[in-house]
Amino acid sequence: MAGGLPRRIIKETQRLMQEPVPGINAIPDEQNARYFHVVVAGPEGSPYENGVFKLELFLPEEYPMSAPKVRFMTKIYHPNIDKVGRICLDILKDKWSPALQIRTVLLSIQALLSAPNPDDPLANDVAEQWKTNEAKAIDTARQWTRMYADSN
Amino acid sequence: MGNCLKAHNNDDISLLRGNESSDVLEQPSGPPPPYHHEPSQRAQLYYPSPNVSRPANQLTEEEQIKIAKRLGLISHLPTGIYDGTSKKGKECAICMCDFNVGENLRILPCMHSYHKECIDDWMMRSFTCPSCMEPVDAALLTTYETS
Repeated sequence: MAGGLPRRIIKETQRLMQEPVPGINAIPDEQNARYFHVVVAGPEGSPYENGVFKLELFLPEEYPMSAPKVRFMTKIYHPNIDKVGRICLDILKDKWSPALQIRTVLLSIQALLSAPNPDDPLANDVAEQWKTNEAKAIDTARQWTRMYADSN
Repeated sequence: MGNCLKAHNNDDISLLRGNESSDVLEQPSGPPPPYHHEPSQRAQLYYPSPNVSRPANQLTEEEQIKIAKRLGLISHLPTGIYDGTSKKGKECAICMCDFNVGENLRILPCMHSYHKECIDDWMMRSFTCPSCMEPVDAALLTTYETS
C-alpha cells in the first residue's frame, strides 16, 4: 500500500486534465498529488451565478474505498454547506461508491448549488431562512456571492 | 478470537458455479498454484460499517458474526477468468484498470463484474454493487428463489 500513487488516481487526474468538466477546474497540488485545488463556477440561473467558488478536495489513503474529502474554501450561503465549508451530500457519506470519481463528485456539488435542499440541512439557520422566506434567502445568497465569490 | 475470520472459504460449499474449484481447473498445467491467504497487513483490518475500521481482535461479537456472514456470502458469488471476449465492461470501475486476459473477476447478481480483489474489498464495507447500487444480498435472495 505504501509508496506510489495508485494507477486510478493517476488516470483520473490525466482524464480531468484532458477532458475538463465545464465550469469546474481541478488541479492537483504540486507537493501532494492527492490534494486538489478546485474552482467551481456558480451555475447559471442559480443565486451563485457569476460567482467563483474555491474548494479543496483530498483523496484519503483508502480512496476509492472511501469518499474524497471536499470542503468549500469560499464562504457561501447555502442550506447544505456550513460556515466552515463542509458539505452535506449523501455521496460524500453513506452513498459513496468506488465507481464514483472526482469528476462525478464535483458535478454533484455543482448540481447541489443549482438545487439547494433545505429539508436536509447542514447550516440550520440558512435552511430555516430558505424555508420561511425563500426570496430573501436567495437574495442573501446572491449578496454573499458578490461579496465573497467575486471572480475579479 | 477472530482467527476464524481469516480462514474463510476453506469449508464453504459453493452453491453457485465458479469459485476456487473452477479456477483451479482452468489453470494451465504446471506447478500447482500457491495457496494464498490475504496479505496479513490487509487481513487485520475489518469494516463493521463503511466508515469504521478495526482490527479483528477489537470487533464486538455481533460485528464478528456480521463479518463472518459477509465473508460466506461473498465466497458464494461466482467468479471467472477474463478471457477477453466480453462484449462490454473492459475496465474495472473500481481500480479503473483494464481487465487483462487471465485475471480473476467476480460477477455480481446484477451482472456487473470487477476484479475479484477490488470488489471483495468493497463488499466487506458495503454489500452493494458500486455501479448500480443494487444491494447484493437482495439480488442473491431473488436468485435463490427463482432457481
